[in-house]
This record gives sequence, C-alpha cells and structure tokens, in this order.
Amino acid sequence: MSQETKSVCDEKTYQWIYNTYAKTLRNFIYYKCGDIQQAEDIVQNAYIKLWNNCSKIVFKNAKSFLYKVAKNEFLNEVAHKKIKLQHQIYLAKESTNETPEFLLEEKEFMIKLKRVIANLPTKQREVFLLSRIDKKKYSEISEIVGITVKAVEKRMSSALITLREQIGNI
Amino acid sequence: MENHFLDNTFLARWVAGELTPKELESFKKSKDYATFKRINDTSQMLEAPTYNEQALFNKLKQLRSTHHQAKSRVIKLIPNWTYSVAASVIIIFGIFYFTNNNKHFETNFSEQLAIILPDNSKVELNANSQLDYKSKNWKENRDLILVGEAFFDVEKGSSFKVNTNKGVIEVLGTEFNINVRDDYFEVLCFEGRVKVTSSNNEAILLPGNAIRIVNNNAELWNFEQGKPNWLQEESIFNRTPLSQVIISLENRFKVSFDKSNIDQSKRFTGVFTHKDLKLALKTVFIPMEISYKPNQENTIIILDSIK
Repeated sequence: MSQETKSVCDEKTYQWIYNTYAKTLRNFIYYKCGDIQQAEDIVQNAYIKLWNNCSKIVFKNAKSFLYKVAKNEFLNEVAHKKIKLQHQIYLAKESTNETPEFLLEEKEFMIKLKRVIANLPTKQREVFLLSRIDKKKYSEISEIVGITVKAVEKRMSSALITLREQIGNI
Repeated sequence: MENHFLDNTFLARWVAGELTPKELESFKKSKDYATFKRINDTSQMLEAPTYNEQALFNKLKQLRSTHHQAKSRVIKLIPNWTYSVAASVIIIFGIFYFTNNNKHFETNFSEQLAIILPDNSKVELNANSQLDYKSKNWKENRDLILVGEAFFDVEKGSSFKVNTNKGVIEVLGTEFNINVRDDYFEVLCFEGRVKVTSSNNEAILLPGNAIRIVNNNAELWNFEQGKPNWLQEESIFNRTPLSQVIISLENRFKVSFDKSNIDQSKRFTGVFTHKDLKLALKTVFIPMEISYKPNQENTIIILDSIK
C-alpha cells in the first residue's frame, strides 16, 4: 500500500486498518483489563473515533491514533475501577500422543501458569502476553506500549522472573 | 537466582533467541533453565479468547453509519459559519450598545429613585419623572435631560448641565433641586451656585435662593431648609400656584382631581405629608377653603370652592 496517498475515509482502507490492527489492539487492552467485553467496546469506540476523524488523520498515523484513543479510554473508564481479573487464556494446541499422566500434569501446570500470569503487574503482563500470544517483536511492543525496546526487554525479563518465583519448583 | 539475571534483559534476549551460543550454553546448565523453558513453551500455547472479527466489524459499520448520519445532518441544518456570524453580530451590537450608552430612568407614581451618575454625582428622582443622559464621555460632557422633579448633588468637575423644556440649568456649585412640570419651572439652590437660563430670564442662585417661572414671569424667593422637602417625605410650598400643588398631590398619591370648579391660580404656602392621603388633602384644601370628596367610582376627587 502506498502510505502517503491512502485516505482513512476510504472504505477499503478503513477495512484494511481494521483487519490489520483490531485483533492485537483488542488483545492488548484485554491483557490490561482482563475483561474481553470491555476490551471489545474500547476497540469499537476507537475505530468509530477514527472514522469520525478520518479526514484529519493521515493513513500512517492511524495505528498510533487507535492505540492512543484506546489507551486513553482504558485509563478513563477502566483503570480507576478495581479490576477483577478474569483472564481466560485458552490452551491452544493439544498434543494427543502423550500419556494421561503427562497430560494431567501439563494441564495442572497450565492452570497454575494462567493464574500467575493473571497476577502479574499489568505492565509486565501486557508485554509478556503480546510477546508470547500475539508473537510480537520487542520493537513492535515498544511501539504499542509506548516505551523503548530496552524497557520492553526489562519488563519481559521481570515478567519471567516473577512467573518463575510464583510458580515455584516443578 | 543466578548471576545472569543481574543483566536485566538477559531473559528477554533468551526468549527472542538473541543470546550468544556461549550465553545459551551456560544458561542451559543452570538449574532454573528447565522451569523457564517450560514457562516459555507453555505460554506460547496460550491463546486469547477467540472472537468473531467479521461480526464485530459489521457491528462497527452499523454504529459508524448512525454516527455519520447524525454528523452530516447537523452540518446541513446549521452550518458552523452561522455561529460565528451570530457571535460577531452580537459582539458588534454589544460594543455599540456599551459605547453609545443612553441611560434612561423613569419613576412612576409614588416612586422615588436614587441614581448615581458615572462621576459619583447623585440624583434623587421624584415621583413621575424621567431622566436621560449619555454615559459615554461623561467626564467631559455632563449633560442631562430632565422631565419632572429631581434633586442633584453634583461632584466637582466640568460644567454640569440639566436640560429641560423650560430652560437650562448649569451648575456652578453642588446641590440643587429642579421641578419642571407642564406649565411650571422651579429651581432651588441648596449649596454652591446655580445658573438658570430660560427663554427670557437668566439668574444665578446662591444657597437659599430659589426661582420659579409662572406664566413667563420669574419669581425669586428665599427658603431655609437644607434638603428638598420631598426627600424628607413631605412637600413644602411657598406661595406656589395651587395648580402645581395639585400636580404634586397627583404624582405622589396617584389620584386625579376634578379641578373645574376652583381657581387654580391661587397661591398655597404650607406642607403636605407623603404618608397619608387624607391628611394631605386636609392640610392643603381646608386652608384654601376648598371642599373635596371622591366621585361615585372612587377614582376622581371632586374639588369645589366653599362659598
């Protein structure tokens, strides 16, 4: 896509922006607040705002606009509430050629891991999950969260150490 | 924890596969490696809750179109520039209004009004009177238009002129009273000096001097009170034509008189109170040998000379 000439007001461009950024944006907000409904509402509002201001926003700034709007809304409407963490992270791949004992043990580990991830500080959790679930590079995460790559790496390391401490020895 | 965690990006680089072979090898030997590897491996199997991307996009489209419709409708009905035009018009009229401010004061029957002029001069407006002046350039141009009766306490400054339809009163000093009614013109000077100019007369009044013009004849007399009597809730008259006394009564009590049977050119000297109509009528008309009684509808007081 030629970055300079695309208009956000154009229906096709708008859909492309949606398909490209919506999922990660939604996950990012979800990792912050732990409420999928809330995350989807925030994403929706951000895209509506993008559309209403489409003539004023240059195509290449659309992504940062979306993240800015979503983060602001999260801070305004969600962050001040006492967040009840309801992180539901699903096990994606099931390996079948393992012994039942191993599977059970694996499942227990998974439950434990999910619990400690939910208890991570938000700053560590969002970086860790963007990296592990959304497979984002550190440079991409730094752009999303709005911090330096170095800071992302620190948070990632801190998250792993926290998880390691919480989960105990296996 | 072992020493490689002192480097606070070590684990991040390991996750990203950016460790040097040497670093990786030593890390693999550490006792925490197995746990870290398991955390990393398992967490990569996690997934965020799935969602129907297309359904959400359709919902978004729907919301968007309602937003968009609302927006365009507003623009069509009241274009933004009309607000600025309206605001400009209001501002222009506002400036015009405040810079060319014509002040107008009016009292009704039985009312009195105290007015402070822009230079702190005071005006007491008696009942059924009007006062007009321009607040713009007041310091340079102290001009007022009076209809009725008022007491002035003028601050020092440029000449202070009161225009009436009977003559112009120019202040040389500070306190004076003017009474201008249909056929009557009276000025009392309480302090300082007042210059009175009417069509064929000119006089300078000193404190205690008063002038009245009846039938184009100027009459000068002296008085003693320090403030106009009407400010003390009574009206004092000194050889005043009866017609004028009756007008004062009408203004004060909002009554009407049938004057057809009396001689209004008689002069009255005396006082009437502002508080009690019956008492006022008694004090004015009994010495003048005039009887008074209300008409049948109680709206007009019929006056008749006692023969």
